[in-house]
Amino acid sequence: MSAASLLPITSAAIANKYCVEARGGEEVSDYIIKAENIKKYFGGVKALDGVNLEIKKGEIHCLAGENGCGKSTIINIISGFYTLDSGTIEIDGTKYEKMNPKQAIANGIQVIYQDLSLFPNLTVMENLAINMEVAASRKFVSKARMRKIAEAAVAKIGFKIDLDETVENLTVGMRQMIAISRALLNDAKLIIMDEPTTAITKREVKSLFKIIKQLQAQGIAVLFVSHKLDEVFEIAERFTIFRSGKNVASGNTSELDQNKFTYYMTGREIISSHYEYTRENAQNVLEVKNLSLKNGFKDVSFSLKQGEIVGITGLLGSGRTELAETLFGYHAADSGEIFIEGKKVEIRSIKQGIENGIGYLPSDRVTEGLFLSQPIVDNISIEKWHDYANCLGKIDRTQIEKMTEHWAKELSIALHNIEDPVGTLSGGNQQKCVLAKWLALDLKVLILNGPTVGVDIGAKFDIYELVKRLAKHGLTVIIISDDLPEVLTNCNRVMVMQSGRLVETLSTQGLDESRLAELAN
Amino acid sequence: MNLQKTVKSTEFYVALIILLLCMAIQMKSGQFFTGNNLVDVVRAFSVPAMFCIGEMFVIITGGVDVSFPAIASLSMFFVCSELEEVASNPLFFFLVAMLIGLAVGLLNGVIIARFRFPALIVTLGTSSICFGIMQGVFKSREYPLCEPLKELGEMKLFSATNPVSGLTSNMPVAVILMIVLVFLGWFILNRTMLGRGIYAIGGDVKAAQRSGFNVFGILLFIYAFSGCMAGLIGVLRSTMLLAVHPNNLEGMEMTVIAACVLGGVRMTGGKGSVLGALLGMALLTIVDNSLILLGISTIWQKVFTGAIIIIGTAASAMQTKRNERKLAIKMNEGGK
Amino acid sequence: MNKKKYLAVALGLIFCVGLAGCGGDSKSQKPDSAKTSVKKVVETTDVATKGEKKDWKIAVVVKDSSNGWFARMEQGVKQYAGDTGINAYQKGPASTDAAQQVQVIQDVINQGINALCVVPVDPAACDPVLKEARDKGIIVITHEGSSCKNVDYDLEAFNNAGYGAFIMDKLQESMGGKGVYTTMVAHLTNASQNEWANGAVAEQQAKYSGLQLLDNPKRVESENNSEKAYQVAKEVMKSHSEVKGFVGTSSMDTPGIARAINELGLKGKAFVVGTGMPNECRSLIKDGSLSYITLWDPAEAGYAMCVMARQILEGKKITDGADLGLKSYSKLLQSKDNPTLFMGAGWIAINKDNVDNYNF
Repeated sequence: MSAASLLPITSAAIANKYCVEARGGEEVSDYIIKAENIKKYFGGVKALDGVNLEIKKGEIHCLAGENGCGKSTIINIISGFYTLDSGTIEIDGTKYEKMNPKQAIANGIQVIYQDLSLFPNLTVMENLAINMEVAASRKFVSKARMRKIAEAAVAKIGFKIDLDETVENLTVGMRQMIAISRALLNDAKLIIMDEPTTAITKREVKSLFKIIKQLQAQGIAVLFVSHKLDEVFEIAERFTIFRSGKNVASGNTSELDQNKFTYYMTGREIISSHYEYTRENAQNVLEVKNLSLKNGFKDVSFSLKQGEIVGITGLLGSGRTELAETLFGYHAADSGEIFIEGKKVEIRSIKQGIENGIGYLPSDRVTEGLFLSQPIVDNISIEKWHDYANCLGKIDRTQIEKMTEHWAKELSIALHNIEDPVGTLSGGNQQKCVLAKWLALDLKVLILNGPTVGVDIGAKFDIYELVKRLAKHGLTVIIISDDLPEVLTNCNRVMVMQSGRLVETLSTQGLDESRLAELAN
Repeated sequence: MNLQKTVKSTEFYVALIILLLCMAIQMKSGQFFTGNNLVDVVRAFSVPAMFCIGEMFVIITGGVDVSFPAIASLSMFFVCSELEEVASNPLFFFLVAMLIGLAVGLLNGVIIARFRFPALIVTLGTSSICFGIMQGVFKSREYPLCEPLKELGEMKLFSATNPVSGLTSNMPVAVILMIVLVFLGWFILNRTMLGRGIYAIGGDVKAAQRSGFNVFGILLFIYAFSGCMAGLIGVLRSTMLLAVHPNNLEGMEMTVIAACVLGGVRMTGGKGSVLGALLGMALLTIVDNSLILLGISTIWQKVFTGAIIIIGTAASAMQTKRNERKLAIKMNEGGK
Repeated sequence: MNKKKYLAVALGLIFCVGLAGCGGDSKSQKPDSAKTSVKKVVETTDVATKGEKKDWKIAVVVKDSSNGWFARMEQGVKQYAGDTGINAYQKGPASTDAAQQVQVIQDVINQGINALCVVPVDPAACDPVLKEARDKGIIVITHEGSSCKNVDYDLEAFNNAGYGAFIMDKLQESMGGKGVYTTMVAHLTNASQNEWANGAVAEQQAKYSGLQLLDNPKRVESENNSEKAYQVAKEVMKSHSEVKGFVGTSSMDTPGIARAINELGLKGKAFVVGTGMPNECRSLIKDGSLSYITLWDPAEAGYAMCVMARQILEGKKITDGADLGLKSYSKLLQSKDNPTLFMGAGWIAINKDNVDNYNF
């Protein structure tokens, strides 16, 4: 009930919250779905503590909240995969105490999961048609029938695609289109999209939004789960924010601003400031001349001063990741020169990269940056094992534990025990572990590739603050990111890459986001 | 579209290597494209090819089955040694063997699908149990083949005689069964929803469940199918040998898995075609049966076979890599 | 947790069925061996049966009592008992298992025997229990166990080179003294089979100039698989039409090659001689695709071990050239490297005339 004070818009709806008398199914409701006072426990753990979620017909509604706030739990309840412990769900005026996935689908509720639930090894046509075919308990495959279904699905949102292409050969954006059109096949009235923008590029986000608007025009409601404020502003009309299994706010997006949004999500005041670079006459730390990598990038030249934070932006496939990986030594450049503190160096292997004081935080921390099943202490200290090992190779555990605890404190990593597997931490804390690993090494240059992808807003600001603090102490940082506001507030310069070439280097001072977006795309 | 896709496929490259190899053998010996040699190759191909069908089903779902030689040996030895006096209809022998295979296959399937144990370990275990029962309980040994099966084994579809050397080779009846089984495999994989389910599980188990596929049922089916077919093939093999050799099939699992992988069946699941697996097996069979025709001395045969396997795999692996690069370029261009 | 329990029960059941099967089977073996009447399976001279005393007790322990090969050996042992009136008998584990065999040996030692003849499954595993027997004053003789250390004598049916030469003699006879031949072994790494094949080639080069060894391949592998032997034989004859003869060494080679000869239509034109089992090769021998199978007669070997045991018990010394009163063991050859190792000339050749005399 404490949440009610934050709900000025829906107070009328809340007035009859505990009205139990069943309304007739034929009565027309304004809401496609009304979930009231939903509680859900897992074991003894409260996942949802009496939350409300109301979505009007044909509206675009944003559900936001940090990891573990109960977003996915409510989605799974609405779609019938979880049974609720108490509360009611009302779909289009009909109350349900319990619901199973079949009923949810029959009522026009479709979920597009973050992993999209597509079969990468099957063709577009099969992916589009297979759910219908299984639901109809077909025994045999009919290509003609499947093609018909697929064509009908594609026609719903009108995009062009080769139906015979295998899905794994498509970009994530394309896959999303397929998942959406598949969801539309079942006469959807509400489409739930679970963080649809995390894995796609800016450009793809644009076309996704176009399609969401299109759906809205057809009278389909969309529940859009995201924690990116700019997206929420751009697309949603109303929003609901959860924190720790409770409603904290809901209302019209027009009433929301950056600070309020962050506050609702994290429960704390966070003010982000632009990074001011003041050491214009510091020495060059990293200088690159005419660096080229086949199938990667060509003739890239730039120089970075001590303490600078430089952003690199550009589309996926523009060569930005390859450039970072080459500086780190993962690829050996085909031509060009690299200078560290004015001295020409050879970086042809990761070992050489590290020796020259370069650290790299990969975009996919799960597969490239961490050993998920190994303890936190080992993950943080791995690059230092050599220094803490005696002549027989035995590692001094107390030393590395001390070191781990130091960094955990320094980076405020929220952990129970340094012997826990690193996989038990949240995304933001995992990212901090990767950072700690590199910071322990006295680096000269730290390259961060998408450092805040899939990271909660609170942890995100922690990371920004940390990076800025490190830069003030003289570390040179490169941030590769799609997130333009992130680049603009945290970097003093930004480089734009396009098709393997460095096309522009700009100061972020007074740079407009829309102008940067134009350059990057 | 079709020609372009064909040229990109693994099957195309394996077929190309087979063609080149055949030409080389023909040029060296002049014996490859003779009726009797082709019959010999098909005969040698038939049994492993049948195993390939069951195995590729399993591999496509992301599992692996190494128990089929043991299942085949056990059911073969059981029916040939214990039922000799019970029946005279060869069909009866096949039926009982298939039932034994089915039982072991179901055991595999239940353990793997229900308890989600790793398929390699489970089938390794059942394989050991089968060989153990065969050796311990039934006292396996070389054993003469009983009359009804022997008669079946001596039947032939046709004979091919080389007009020059006068050498004759007989096409065994088993080849018909191979054709039936290959067609059945192709039909299930490509024309039934069960087949789509097999691919779907290999692609993404979670998504398959969300789509409404009966994942447990499908996994149970493929292991049961593999076991059942192994029982059948075991007896068939003994009719071709005209004797019961209980250890004859030991080690064949590696050849069959290698053939599947060579033919583009992906070990992690989701990819593979009947044609590919058969081409992979054909390549291995031809290499195995032509080393003497090629004049390669016995000492070097293993080196040569190994080299062909690596070349075959490399050709398709390189093709996959090239496709990946193309995807990156496509994304690049799409961004402009 | 429950799932795992069910699984454990299921696995346990399988295990029990397996054990029950083993137990049941070993019981059913006994009446079989009891039924076998004392037949004359081995030809002997007086040397074999004469002696001073009759109250010796000799036990023969074989690898596997259910195996046809050792059933034949038991006939030899029984005949010896019948011929001499000495208490000689054969025992063996229900399956070829080194540990079980040690158990059986232990049992017979406790039965108060004077001599122990063993065909070891695993010579190394047997050695300790053989030492125990010798410590109790029991004479120990092994067969196919030249690497055992705690023995008085080891009796082998033949020396490897001699057996190879014997195969060549028969092949030469079948081929009519001329033509090209090649050799087959299970694996190029198999020591004894390669010695046999080398022996055959040496014999041909010394005696039969009409025969010629194929240049390439000189030796092929069957991988101990008769289907592979069949395929390889076919391939050899396709690519080298001049090949008219095969030396087969493994018992899988010979029937495989014979099937190839039969199918290619080369019966009477191409020949194979080599190791083989009578039951398995019977039909191939009878229809003419297989000229001779060669092997040593286990009945004779069993009989010979008993004779040797009695001679030692009665104080005779076994020397080079000793006679055991059996056709194949009338002039023993003492090994130069190992003075306790004696070899007979125990090979036999089986063709369509005598194949029905052998049932194993």
